[in-house]
Amino acid sequence: MKIKLELFGASRDFSDKDHLELDIKDKASIDDLRNEIIKYIDKNFQGNEDFIKVVKSSAFCSENNEIISDNYKITKNQKIGIIPPIGGG
Amino acid sequence: MLHTKIVDYKKDKILTSNAEKFIKDSMFGASIYFLGTVRSINDNKKVIGITYDSHDEMVIKSFEKIYNEADQKLDIKDKAVFIEHAKGHLKLGEISIIIAVACKHRDQAYVLSRYIIEEIKKRSPIWKKEHYENKKVNG
Repeated sequence: MKIKLELFGASRDFSDKDHLELDIKDKASIDDLRNEIIKYIDKNFQGNEDFIKVVKSSAFCSENNEIISDNYKITKNQKIGIIPPIGGG
Repeated sequence: MLHTKIVDYKKDKILTSNAEKFIKDSMFGASIYFLGTVRSINDNKKVIGITYDSHDEMVIKSFEKIYNEADQKLDIKDKAVFIEHAKGHLKLGEISIIIAVACKHRDQAYVLSRYIIEEIKKRSPIWKKEHYENKKVNG
């Protein structure tokens, strides 16, 4: 199953594009997704520790723009947003 | 009465005149304009600009939620609130956020304005990356 991960804040450094396309297993949880992103960082950024820290401390949001919990199951090809810790204003 | 917007600085700017038009009403006796602007020094580093990023839909939702909560928590029923936040690259002195509020009395206006900015800082998915004179960034 393919998902589009929209990047925001510090996670924008993960790609030149504004999103990542990741292959994940059916009914993957947000925890599984987090592990897939870390694998991507290991592969493309030699396990950049700052990037991994961002992934571990981020929340995720659904297509309906709601924050979703870590045990949420992703059941279809969808768009998910990564929401790093907030620091604006 | 609420107005909210994310202003993309590539195409637009935040203007206090728009806020003034929106909140102006003879039923209100107190208006406060809060502006956040890009300042030149942070943590002893010389800042030359800031890039703001946001999850626009979630930010707008959070502004609406904060406004509605103010109804319940602060019990200020009659009010006009204008909130805009910048997105994109801003130079020194440019406005990153405006919160304009109008209420019947000054006590309400001060409390409401402060409540809104503090809640936005805590909850709205907005990120900033500072640009320094020596080219380093801190996001």
